[in-house]
Amino acid sequence: MARARGTDGSLLDSLPWTLFALAFSLAPHVLFLPWWITVAFFACGLWRFVIERRRRPIPSTWFRALLAMLCFLGVLATYSTISGVGPGSALLAIMAALKLLETRKRRDQFVLLFISIFLVMSSLLREQYLWSLPYLVVAVFLIMTAWLRISSPTGEKARRSFSTGGRLVMYAAPLAVAMWIFFPRIATPFWSVPMDTGTAKSGISDTMSPGDISSLSMSDAVAFRVTFKGDIPEPRNRYWRGIVLTNFNGRTWTSTDPYATRAHEQVVYEANPVEYSITLEPTRQIWVFALDMPASWTLQRTFMGPQQQLARSVPIDQRTKYDAVSYIDFRTEVDLPRQARNFYTSVPESSNRRTQELARSMRAEARSDVAFIDAALKMFNEEEFYYTLEPPALGSNPVDRFLFDSRQGFCEHYASAFAVLMRAAGIPARIVLGYQGGEVNPMGGHMIVRQSDAHAWTEVWLEGIGWRRVDPTAAVAPERIEVGRSGSMFDGVAADWGFSAPSLWVYQLQMYWDAMNAKWNEWILGYGPENQDKFMEWLGMDNPDWRKMMLTMIGIVIGIVLLISLALSLRYRPPKRDRAAMLYGKFVKKAGIVPATGETATVYASRVGDESAISPANVAEITNSYLEARYGLPNQASLERLEAAVSRL
Amino acid sequence: MQSGSTLEKLPTGKDSDRVELDRARKALGTIILGKDSQIALALSCLLARGHLLIEDLPGLGKTMLAQSLSRVLGLSFRRIQFTSDLLPADIVGVSVFRQGKGEFEFQPGPIFAQLILADEVNRATPKAQSALLESMEEYQVSVDGCTRALPNPFFVVATQNPADQIGTFPLPESQLDRFLMRLELGYPNEDNERELITGEDRRSMLEDIEAASSPETMIRLQQAAAAMHMSDPLVDYIQALVRQTRESPDIDIGLSPRGALALAAAAKAHAFVEHHPGVFPDDIQAVFTAVAGHRLKPAGNTTYRSAAELCKHVLDTVAIP
Repeated sequence: MARARGTDGSLLDSLPWTLFALAFSLAPHVLFLPWWITVAFFACGLWRFVIERRRRPIPSTWFRALLAMLCFLGVLATYSTISGVGPGSALLAIMAALKLLETRKRRDQFVLLFISIFLVMSSLLREQYLWSLPYLVVAVFLIMTAWLRISSPTGEKARRSFSTGGRLVMYAAPLAVAMWIFFPRIATPFWSVPMDTGTAKSGISDTMSPGDISSLSMSDAVAFRVTFKGDIPEPRNRYWRGIVLTNFNGRTWTSTDPYATRAHEQVVYEANPVEYSITLEPTRQIWVFALDMPASWTLQRTFMGPQQQLARSVPIDQRTKYDAVSYIDFRTEVDLPRQARNFYTSVPESSNRRTQELARSMRAEARSDVAFIDAALKMFNEEEFYYTLEPPALGSNPVDRFLFDSRQGFCEHYASAFAVLMRAAGIPARIVLGYQGGEVNPMGGHMIVRQSDAHAWTEVWLEGIGWRRVDPTAAVAPERIEVGRSGSMFDGVAADWGFSAPSLWVYQLQMYWDAMNAKWNEWILGYGPENQDKFMEWLGMDNPDWRKMMLTMIGIVIGIVLLISLALSLRYRPPKRDRAAMLYGKFVKKAGIVPATGETATVYASRVGDESAISPANVAEITNSYLEARYGLPNQASLERLEAAVSRL
Repeated sequence: MQSGSTLEKLPTGKDSDRVELDRARKALGTIILGKDSQIALALSCLLARGHLLIEDLPGLGKTMLAQSLSRVLGLSFRRIQFTSDLLPADIVGVSVFRQGKGEFEFQPGPIFAQLILADEVNRATPKAQSALLESMEEYQVSVDGCTRALPNPFFVVATQNPADQIGTFPLPESQLDRFLMRLELGYPNEDNERELITGEDRRSMLEDIEAASSPETMIRLQQAAAAMHMSDPLVDYIQALVRQTRESPDIDIGLSPRGALALAAAAKAHAFVEHHPGVFPDDIQAVFTAVAGHRLKPAGNTTYRSAAELCKHVLDTVAIP
């Protein structure tokens, strides 16, 4: 190898632009990438800049190959795969950083800008947020500007590059909108993005072990948003049913059910129908949430399970919107077969014995099942039970520990203890997991249900009445159920509950943001095949299919391009006949000597100086200012000098 | 070569670079007497990143011009005397087996310098010529399958003697095209010749002269020259000139688009050397003969005896817009 030569510093002015564009396009990935990739990315950028500044040589091929190999292995070790959005974008980011280390020429930076565009696009594979659109526009604008900077001759002002970049983005905007509207959406996509296998399921889990976890995560993330067609139900009726847990092994409640094949219990819908539509955030689970008790729903491949829970045959991997009708007042089948009765009253003999004894003695004292339920709720209400989000761990026999020792817990503890009490006393009982409550967004008119609204309650079966909802948490902390969360009560209740209490305007800002997100989800991300068909029909296209849409799109795109070109060509004014040339023409006429073909002004000036009456100083002044005004950079001063000199003739 | 740290301290504005360029031009003028326009052309050629071919009779100062250029611009200099037995390895270098180390070691040839004087380039065989010409085009040489970059800046000043026709291999048109300019120095006038005879020995003057500029300045000057403003009427002018060379009955083969590019680049550099605020028609006319002369093929029946006359004719027939 020849001795490596240092860089010549010629990239010093363009490199910062490339680095900035790259960094900007990495930004949306940073939160999702392993930290070492971000660190390596910026280290490479800084390193390359120092190399250029100090005129050091670029690292050798072997070294770069080694680095690339190490980074590849690093990504492989972090994700243990290289397919999927996470590892894919990690690889893309780290390889872009390494590409910097073999960037020698101006031209190489264009490759980096291409990679930037790709990085920006790949962030959309993860999630398309509301801020994605402005980010995208700004990113494309910055990358275009960097492109213009790098390809422009030295000396062009940065402001000019920015304005040209902005103009380009503006010209592209109508094209993008037309393509977005008309590009045919197809119900079954030709390709799909492999979901990251490592992504945890979010939301409610389908088992429950009170006492195992000692604190509940208070995530403010949105679980779903609801738009009601009519009045919004009162807070105490806002029970969003999800998973039903029926099996108890002394510690953990699970939803496995031997009756899964049995016909559904008949539900009699009585009064107070509520119509609404839900936009459910992806949960990667099969459960579908609906207000207690759903009667009809529009989601495909969704059925009602044996305990009236809704489930879809495929997990919910995307934001999903569906309409539903629920009845606040309903009854379930009165008749419960003996086998089912045994199943819903089974409690492991060996565990939680004190609770079982307590249940039997309380039942003996009470006159009826209803009186027993009231007694149990009264116990929660009047004795020293506390609602807390950070209860102590309970170990084995958690119900005994909870009822007799710790007496601190949240909904799961109360629901579990209550259900065990009921079962021990021979009353069929089960636990429902879902959400309770919801916050009405005054800006959008819709309701937000958050992960922090997750709740567990019980249902008991009473002779002659059927399944009935009983929420023991309401007995301990009625405000949890009765009052919805809203801005006015933040300072009081929220603080007690361990929320930080944000001021009112922060709250309003959050509500605005949420309303905008809801609209964004509905109108932009929700623009799928059905909405597109509807929109096309509204535009007057009958039987829209992808061929018609494609042709329309191509037509519109051509139209827009023609319009923009026409507008540009109309705006272009050919420069008026050069003023400097006109003034010079006057001078030639006055001098009375015809310039020869191909005779430059300088040569002509010496001839005029010799042969005509015009003073040589004036001839020189005219010639110099003419050359400057006509052939120099546009400049008013020399034109004025020429004008003055010609008028002196 | 200066170290990086001293480079940082220099003012980066064009002014200091310009001062160095003017000083270099003045210094050249004290050695090569009475050839100011040729000196300006030679400097423009280097600023336009071009190679220079000097064609003249012996004893007119071809070598002196090349040597003094390297001297005042602070460029490393190597001279290659072209003879009919010159081999490509004599130019680019060879790999030599080192017994002690047990491996091949590359011995760089004279081409690894910033300014090369290729003396009497038409005396060597086409094989040796092409080794030089390839490096001029690519700014790199390939030896034993390994590509080695040449220094930056890299200039070739080649000379040839037009009178000498026996035992020479004249460069074909396609290779003449690699040279941005071809210059003829011509005889000095009476006064200058007198000063040459009576004055100090030029060779010792050359020893004493100090570098007025540096390779780094040269690179910046090249960038600044390329960024010179050329107004639209002058782009039209260049196009009209090129069209005329293609359409004139006196010329068989006119200027190629590469020739037009060369003309624009050379004119910009000339305007830069002459401190013009933009390219003037005078700049285009000044470089036209040097840039176009060796690229044109006169028609067989033309009455113009030399390329210079032909170029003058083209300039006289095209109006300046």
